[in-house]
Amino acid sequence: MKILTLGTLLICFMFTSCSDDDNTTPLLEVASKTVSNLNAPQVGGRGQAISGEFTKFNFATGQSTTSDTDWDIAFRGTSIIVNGGTSLGTTDEPVRTGIAAAYIESGTLASVTEVDLSLLTQDSANGYAINGWYSLDTTTYILSALAGKIIVVKTHDGNYAKLEILSYYKDLDTSKESRYYTFNYVYQPNEGVTTF
Amino acid sequence: MHFITKLLIMKHIFILAVLNSSFYLAHAQGSVNDTTKVKQLEEVVITATRTIRQLSSLPLPVQIISEQEIKNSNSLRLNDILSEQTGLISVPNFIGGEGVQLQGLSSQYTLILIDGLPLIGRSAGTLDLRRVAVGNIKQIEIVKGASSSLYGSEALGGIINIITDKPKNGFNGDINYRLGTFNTNDLSTSINYKKHKLGVHTFFNRYSSDGYDLTENDDLNTVESFSNYTLDTKVTYDFSEATNLFVLGKYFTQNQDYVASSALKGESDINEWNTHLKLNHKYSKKWGSYFEFYATRYKTKDYLNNENGSRYSSNHYNQLLIHPETQVTFNPNDKNSFIGGIGFNHETLDRTDFTTKPEFNSPFIYAQYDGNPTEKLNVILGARFDDNNKYKSQFSPKVALRYELNKKIAIKGSIGYGFKAPDFRQLYFDFTNATAGITVLGYNAVTDAIPQLQAQGEIASIIVPISEFEGSLNPENSVSINFGIDYKLSSNLKFSLNVFRNNINDLIDSRVIAYKTNGQKIFSYYNVNKVYTQGLEINASWKPINQLKFSGGYQLLIAKDKDVESAFKNGKMYARESPSSPSFQLKKDDYFGLYNRSRHMANLKLFYTISKWNLDTNIRGTYRSKYGLFDSNGNDTLDTHDIFVNGYAIFDLAVNKTVYKNYGLGFGIDNLFDFKDTQNISNITGQIIYGKLNIKF
Repeated sequence: MKILTLGTLLICFMFTSCSDDDNTTPLLEVASKTVSNLNAPQVGGRGQAISGEFTKFNFATGQSTTSDTDWDIAFRGTSIIVNGGTSLGTTDEPVRTGIAAAYIESGTLASVTEVDLSLLTQDSANGYAINGWYSLDTTTYILSALAGKIIVVKTHDGNYAKLEILSYYKDLDTSKESRYYTFNYVYQPNEGVTTF
Repeated sequence: MHFITKLLIMKHIFILAVLNSSFYLAHAQGSVNDTTKVKQLEEVVITATRTIRQLSSLPLPVQIISEQEIKNSNSLRLNDILSEQTGLISVPNFIGGEGVQLQGLSSQYTLILIDGLPLIGRSAGTLDLRRVAVGNIKQIEIVKGASSSLYGSEALGGIINIITDKPKNGFNGDINYRLGTFNTNDLSTSINYKKHKLGVHTFFNRYSSDGYDLTENDDLNTVESFSNYTLDTKVTYDFSEATNLFVLGKYFTQNQDYVASSALKGESDINEWNTHLKLNHKYSKKWGSYFEFYATRYKTKDYLNNENGSRYSSNHYNQLLIHPETQVTFNPNDKNSFIGGIGFNHETLDRTDFTTKPEFNSPFIYAQYDGNPTEKLNVILGARFDDNNKYKSQFSPKVALRYELNKKIAIKGSIGYGFKAPDFRQLYFDFTNATAGITVLGYNAVTDAIPQLQAQGEIASIIVPISEFEGSLNPENSVSINFGIDYKLSSNLKFSLNVFRNNINDLIDSRVIAYKTNGQKIFSYYNVNKVYTQGLEINASWKPINQLKFSGGYQLLIAKDKDVESAFKNGKMYARESPSSPSFQLKKDDYFGLYNRSRHMANLKLFYTISKWNLDTNIRGTYRSKYGLFDSNGNDTLDTHDIFVNGYAIFDLAVNKTVYKNYGLGFGIDNLFDFKDTQNISNITGQIIYGKLNIKF
């Protein structure tokens, strides 16, 4: 897994750089990054019971992690879970230890600029918070990430991030192996800030 | 029989009553010698009103295809000839059947009748038109717009009624043989006998082909080799001038290779029979009635074997329809006619992947008034009520008006309700795909199947509560509006224009209702979509001289899903430039519409007769503009940035020559310029060359 910095989005909040007598610490930079080929294997599927470790991801570090607690979202096959709420009950699903939540908003990564707190949902026994991000061609069985589905995430420790899944295939090539996520994301490192 | 009895009943159409059987004969034979006679007569249709009506005076949009046109075009199967008509297109579905799209509605919304009675046996909604041989067809009648007021379920987009040959006076017959590309053999023969009271007509057809392959790099053929047989026998008996009997028996059987991969091979079979008995009686000049009993069964079987000969899979499908009906006709005077009918549909299905052997019982009643309050105004009012044990009862009204502005111009309009009952699959399916692991449940199967799966510990979560499945699924329904103008410049030059709109509600779609512990989804059906189709249709025909006829047609079509359209309007739709590039927002005008709909369709035909050589020749062209088959940019809808199938035109050429009066020789090239799009269009094979021989006795 490699991480690229695509470009940076500098958020200039009121007074941050202009006022001399401002005591607040300057806000951290909000950057748009890409995660490529994050492997999310699973065992089973296609009629067989699904199991296997989820591949966990932490937005603050921009890295996958094996930590039991410091993860925000995790991937296994097409399933995406958040570190908040309760398990759906499938085999090998990790215990939720954080306060993570998520929802899907229509838009482009740039056009989603604010978190709508009222929409945030956690995983539960009735289903995952992140659902319906892809479509499956029933003749070719090629899976594609739906356009304009921006996943807005509250991280396990209460910060916010947004991401757009681009591909489910290795090197963005649908003829190669599946269960390799590539996505663009923006992490808001400043605590409590709900804008991007 | 249909024809003759109706002729007897409908005295008020004086021209027909007077000409009665002589008209019938001229029309039915349709041979070269008779054409001039036929042309002088008004064309008549039976489908639009269930009474014999002059085509030109109808307030509804109706097209007919004559026997002559079918013969001159050297068509073999129903799809060949239908797809040459304005606004109709033969569309292959994903399992290989070919159905008809009409006014932008897909094939499950068009009722297909033979002599007024429905064909059954649809797979995934498609009634495969290739099942129907055209060799014994006298006329095809196409009524556009919802017609459930007379025909009930499925007559949502329109009706296609195939009128077949009936016994006529004399003893005669013919043999036809056609051999063409792909070793396609078509042999048919008909024998006709009628003397005094008894008439018999038999038609036999054998049709076979080696099939064809458009994609060379796999083990499958696009169409595997097959052979099929049709046998159709009718007996008529006239007890008296006023009473007659008609009996039909028809049988169709097909055997086809079934290949799933290099290792999995087998066969598939279709067996279908139809029986029809109809007793007509005319009580007086004003009153008449008939009773009919119709039964049909459609059965399929298929299997696949492994290389070692062991059975890999097998499927069966067995549908039965029993339909008794009685109709009464009352014609108080020349200007008014009433019909009323009552009947019953009993339908059962036994097939693989069903929870039960479901049974539909549906009594129905209908009535229609057809009258001319003034010389220039024609009014049709009709309504039908269909009760059913498995879904909501339906009331289907219809109104149609035609007003003659003057001898040349008439305006007409109609509005009607149409519905399509949920099919057995949407109600009773209980299917789990062995490879993908997806389960699909019919609406009525959910309340039993889900608790059962729960008890077995297979359900992880329920998305849609079972309580939502305690009601009943609504039939898909529509209100259709047609408005048209007929303009007859002269007896040789005619135009007609029809503007249409179909508003369809409660379209049935599938959605995820639960997740299984194995991570897979369970789907079921629900009423959701609202779609509309609208457009206009223009038809023109011109006969500059007796030997030459031009005809042309054009259809403009816009077919859209209302919810998707408003999502585009509200800026909620996105797409990707390439499959894995970031999304961008689509504009309102980027919505193209439903899949597999072409905005423009057109046809142009030229028929030319060279009398001194006894030669009939024609060239026919059809065009359809670009259309989309699937989403290619990540939004599950068709927008202008998607990949489209390019528009195309196909030209067919046919030449037929009569020698020594009773012998005919034919030659033709279908798809003259060898058009193919192997990736997108599975039913266009490229150029087909054939020769034909015809003997009459």
